[in-house]
Amino acid sequence: MARPKLIKERVPTPERPVEERIKSFVEVNLGYDFASAVKEAERCIQCPPEYAPCIKGCPVHINIPGFLKALRENADNPDEAVKNALRVIWNDNTLPAVTGRVCPQEEQCEAPCVMGKVGDPINIGKLERFVADYAREKGIDEELLGEFIAETDGKGKVAVVGAGPAGLTCALELAKMGYKVTIFEALHEAGGVLMYGIPEFRLPKDILKTELDKLEKLGVEVKTNYIVGKTVTVEELLQEYDAAFISTGAGTPKLLNIPGILLDRIYSANEFLTRVNLMKAYKFPEYDTPIAVGKKVIVIGAGNTAMDAARSALRLGAEVTIAYRRGREDMTARIEEIAHAEEEGVKFEFFLTPVEFIGDENGKVKAVKFMKMRPLEERDSRGKRKIEPTGEYVTLEADTVIIAIGLEPNKILVEASGFETNPDGTLVVDENLMTSIPGVFAGGDAIRGEATVILAMGDGKKAAKAIDEYIRSRRANA
Amino acid sequence: MSYKILEKKEIAMRNIWYRIHAPHVAKKVQPGQFVIVRAFKNGERIPLTPVMWDRDEGWIVLITFIRGRTTMRMASELKEGDELLNVAGPLGNPAEMEKFGKVLAIGAYTGIVEVYPIARAWQELGNDVTTLHVTFEPMVVLKDELEEAVGRHVLETVPIDPNLDFPTNMKNVTKRLTEKVRELLEKEEYDMVFMVGPAGDQRAVFNVVKEFGIPMKSDLHPIMVDGTGMCGACRVTVGGEVKFACIDGPEFDAYQVNWDELIARSGYYTDMEQRAMQEYMKALQGGEQ
Ligand SMILES: Cc1cc2nc3c(=O)[nH]c(=O)nc-3n(C[C@H](O)[C@H](O)[C@H](O)COP(=O)(O)OP(=O)(O)OC[C@H]3O[C@@H](n4cnc5c(N)ncnc54)[C@H](O)[C@@H]3O)c2cc1C
Ligand SMILES: Cc1cc2nc3c(=O)[nH]c(=O)nc-3n(C[C@H](O)[C@H](O)[C@H](O)COP(=O)(O)OP(=O)(O)OC[C@H]3O[C@@H](n4cnc5c(N)ncnc54)[C@H](O)[C@@H]3O)c2cc1C
Ligand code: SF4
Ligand code: FES
Repeated sequence: MARPKLIKERVPTPERPVEERIKSFVEVNLGYDFASAVKEAERCIQCPPEYAPCIKGCPVHINIPGFLKALRENADNPDEAVKNALRVIWNDNTLPAVTGRVCPQEEQCEAPCVMGKVGDPINIGKLERFVADYAREKGIDEELLGEFIAETDGKGKVAVVGAGPAGLTCALELAKMGYKVTIFEALHEAGGVLMYGIPEFRLPKDILKTELDKLEKLGVEVKTNYIVGKTVTVEELLQEYDAAFISTGAGTPKLLNIPGILLDRIYSANEFLTRVNLMKAYKFPEYDTPIAVGKKVIVIGAGNTAMDAARSALRLGAEVTIAYRRGREDMTARIEEIAHAEEEGVKFEFFLTPVEFIGDENGKVKAVKFMKMRPLEERDSRGKRKIEPTGEYVTLEADTVIIAIGLEPNKILVEASGFETNPDGTLVVDENLMTSIPGVFAGGDAIRGEATVILAMGDGKKAAKAIDEYIRSRRANA
Repeated sequence: MSYKILEKKEIAMRNIWYRIHAPHVAKKVQPGQFVIVRAFKNGERIPLTPVMWDRDEGWIVLITFIRGRTTMRMASELKEGDELLNVAGPLGNPAEMEKFGKVLAIGAYTGIVEVYPIARAWQELGNDVTTLHVTFEPMVVLKDELEEAVGRHVLETVPIDPNLDFPTNMKNVTKRLTEKVRELLEKEEYDMVFMVGPAGDQRAVFNVVKEFGIPMKSDLHPIMVDGTGMCGACRVTVGGEVKFACIDGPEFDAYQVNWDELIARSGYYTDMEQRAMQEYMKALQGGEQ
């Protein structure tokens, strides 16, 4: 039998040109159309599912060769092809339009892809996104949703706290099993970081909203403006629900404990991004929430949050510099987003640690003083080179500073409910994701600290299974 | 959930009373806590204080001072029977409920509406509470309610001089406020002073109270966005440490607060607030023609 010809190179996805995109918050990457998606899917050599390394690399184990096969099997009938592909994806992941956009595929499913050994790995993320987008535009997802609606009679009631990716996934999985689920969310919109953190130009909010519409269609109730620990306690929830899932994330910003931190125009990335994304301050005064960005912005940090803040500030018309205390190869943001930031003109300064914010006579920040750092050969537990101070300083001008050095779990819920926690504030859980309070499970950033969307979703899924078992066994023993 | 406006009325110049259906808040709120309200689709989130509530009937009362665009829009666009889009809460820590003894609770301008639930609860707990309200003459609110709720209610009004600009008029309030506080503290012995009002007035009063060495608590009002500890917009330095007013406060020991910093931070959005207000006024006028 003739060996199939290997196509080494990826079918590219078009992107908006730089000059156009830095003026707006419109999505940068335009994604595949059906013909190019099929072409890319045809590059997959269809490793057997029990072996396929891409499936193992995906934290929720989507049957990747399966959905790629579905796409190309019906190359002459796009609607049918997409419907079959989406069915395969939804078995394991109900938010593909989100994960296809924001997952670091280069570290997950695409990293071990066999094709990566001979050429480019299959562009799994963009294909996943294509399936979700096409289905949404054609209303195919609506049709398919019917297949997943389960009988909800008498199975049990579960409360989910926090409507980020962990909570959404747990709720959707439980609803598919037939549980009656209520999500309690502190903010006025569901989505967690997807709504208030990740900007429109990476994850358009109307796309996110249609993903969220699934909740309602599967019978999940969302109570916004509910702050668990204040509006209602975990104890009270347990009186009404058979179990609870805590997915309150890690939303509290770490601030730098250095002089000048309270000067005007110094934002946490969370405040900055919440104003921009959730409150649409970039449309001020059409929207009421203001944001003040000067001409020269310094962003401190080099994770996804820093890239998002930097690229948002750029779109508000500023000149932006990212200052990071380690080197280029140590940055934790997604490679695609670092590349986008560079193309768009964000400048990078490495091996700089801030030591002081300098203000003007009106209390506004005007410069940041940094200590220069130097890399050592030694590496830390995460494999990053250690750094040490050089004793030399440099001062960079800035009229706005955004701090993006990380987030910690929010303490409202923990303090009010007496959960056992780790020293970093994350909740202690056992191998079934159950917390120190029986019947209360937890996942996502609330147990991991700042991590990724798909890990949060994986936890949500795992917890849904554990909750199902917990409720069944309690009922069996009752 | 619908947050229906059951009642709305103007109770004094630029002071609007809203009774809102919000059973989730009414059931839990304690004196000293606040809510975050978003009234319009393109609106912002603003912190307001439940002044009264009925846990069984499920309503809370909010009283807003028309200060800028959002409070103005609420006053002019919302009618009885309309709904607020979001009412999140209760937020923040309840005020400490203890027997302090003789307490002076001060409210400058609409700040008195936040004093009311706390002063009332303190009195009920067995404290001897004097409330002091200093404001412009046409802006007196909750006079009868306070007279009924606490040991003694002192009202001090300052006329608005139309020949002076607003900042100068406000200076007169600050002056009367500090004079009156001094007079009260000189005459009687208080165990504790509590205040709600603009940061500048709080600092002025604190400087008087300090001379007498009396403990003082302040409700701080930094700018807030989420109100749940997620952004740090509301950060203040208290006792040399950065605190988030929405989760660590809003009540703090006045002796520990870095007042200068707080005052500087409250003026951050002044330009944009004025712009938002002007645009809105323009739109209103355009609509009338
Ligand atoms: C700016 C930014 C960009 C990022 N970019 C990426 C990316 O490109 N790819 C990626 O994989 N990851 C990214 N991440 C990380 C990722 O977003 C998180 O790991 C993920 O969102 C965690 O999900 P979660 O469900 O645990 O929590 P969250 O998304 O944080 O959701 C928690 C929810 O709980 C609510 N809540 C909190 N406390 C309470 C309470 N007491 N009561 C009720 N509700 C409460 C919050 O309001 C929130 O809605 C990014 C993070 C940030 C901040
Ligand atoms: C805990 C708390 C409780 C409050 N309770 C009440 C109350 O019961 N009644 C009342 O009239 N006012 C109260 N305030 C003040 C109220 O939030 C502001 O008057 C309101 O935000 C002004 O909005 P605006 O758009 O009309 O005015 P603008 O001046 O245009 O305000 C625009 C922005 O500034 C912020 N802001 C401005 N001033 C303040 C301030 N003093 N405090 C907090 N944020 C501010 C707003 O959040 C908004 O983002 C309270 C504030 C806090 C922090
Ligand atoms: S590892 Fe790569 S080639 Fe193999 S099935 Fe997965 S996507 Fe296809
Ligand atoms: S208002 Fe955002 S942390 Fe307090």
